[in-house]
Amino acid sequence: MNADQWLHALGVELHRRRVATEDVRHVVAEAATHLRDGGGDPWTVFGTPDRYAAAIAESVGTRPAPRPGTVRLHAEGITKRYGRRTVLRDAGLTVRAGQIAAIVGANGCGKSTFLRICAGVESPDGGQVTVSGRLGYCPQQGGTDDFLLPDEHFVLVGAGRGMGRATARRAGRIAARQLGWESDRAVLARRLSGGTRQKLNLTLSTLTEPDVLLLDEPYQGFDRGTYVNFWDQLLRLRDEGRAIVVVTHLLNQLDRVDLVLDLTPATPGGRP
Amino acid sequence: MEIERRGQWLRGVLDLCVLGLLRDRESYGYELAQSLDAAGIGPIQGGTLYPVLLRLQRAGLVTAQWHEGASGPARKYYRITDHGRAALGRGGHDWVAFVTPVTTIVTGGVDG
Repeated sequence: MNADQWLHALGVELHRRRVATEDVRHVVAEAATHLRDGGGDPWTVFGTPDRYAAAIAESVGTRPAPRPGTVRLHAEGITKRYGRRTVLRDAGLTVRAGQIAAIVGANGCGKSTFLRICAGVESPDGGQVTVSGRLGYCPQQGGTDDFLLPDEHFVLVGAGRGMGRATARRAGRIAARQLGWESDRAVLARRLSGGTRQKLNLTLSTLTEPDVLLLDEPYQGFDRGTYVNFWDQLLRLRDEGRAIVVVTHLLNQLDRVDLVLDLTPATPGGRP
Repeated sequence: MEIERRGQWLRGVLDLCVLGLLRDRESYGYELAQSLDAAGIGPIQGGTLYPVLLRLQRAGLVTAQWHEGASGPARKYYRITDHGRAALGRGGHDWVAFVTPVTTIVTGGVDG
């Protein structure tokens, strides 16, 4: 484990102990500065990530665990067949305000299908989805228009919620910056790199301040720094009381989520 | 045994030492560790130092701000507050009142 991996593990441990997102950022940055100044092995200088995180949590205090709010998304008995192949059988998930749910499982087990059904862009063969509040959906592909500029995307999506052009542009640029992307350059979406287009996609799904945010592996093409920023942003949205569902296949994120729905066929249904 | 005893002493006074170093000028973690070492206290690892700094910050005895120093990149600089100066005065007084009789008692053993 090199210094970067150690710092990443520290961030994960601090989040897991519910240290405030702002404090996590400062503590990790300060440890990185210290290691850069002094060199040395982080394991000797700071100890293991979890022991150091525990000492930090004791020093700065932690956020109280939020009480789960009202149910924002309720899916039950979801069944989906493509021809003779049953992709989903009796799958269900309940997410409350202030929770992050992860949908995991092997490739082809129906993770994206389940999310599309929750988003209402695909209908199930059986079961029901209830959404309470405004919905944001970030698909794995698409969601952006090749021939529009980032700012034009912000204006278009903002208009759907009655936002003025300037307000939408400002909100979009701020949200993009939180992912480490300066979006004010006039570049058509089709000229953006895959990772940047994904940042645009993600920015659009949060622009309308949805109560329920559905994300389908939204970090593809992100570098490590962006990936950390992305999770910081998700945790901030959760703490603001959003209900978030994220399809993922990366196990190291699961420490930071509240619910896991495993769609691997051997274990149908959700587990808390 | 000796190292463990030193660690115990340090736990009791490291916050005062840090306040003492910050009395005249602001500083950042790595520099404080070097100053402590140079003063003869010995090497202090980051894992020991930063939790102390965070506790001092949380108690309002120091404030912290990220900015660039005379040379090099942005670092988190700590600065003592009035509250911190008062705590240093009280704590320093208590320390001297404690260590003076201890020194008197154990000095015979050192000499003999």
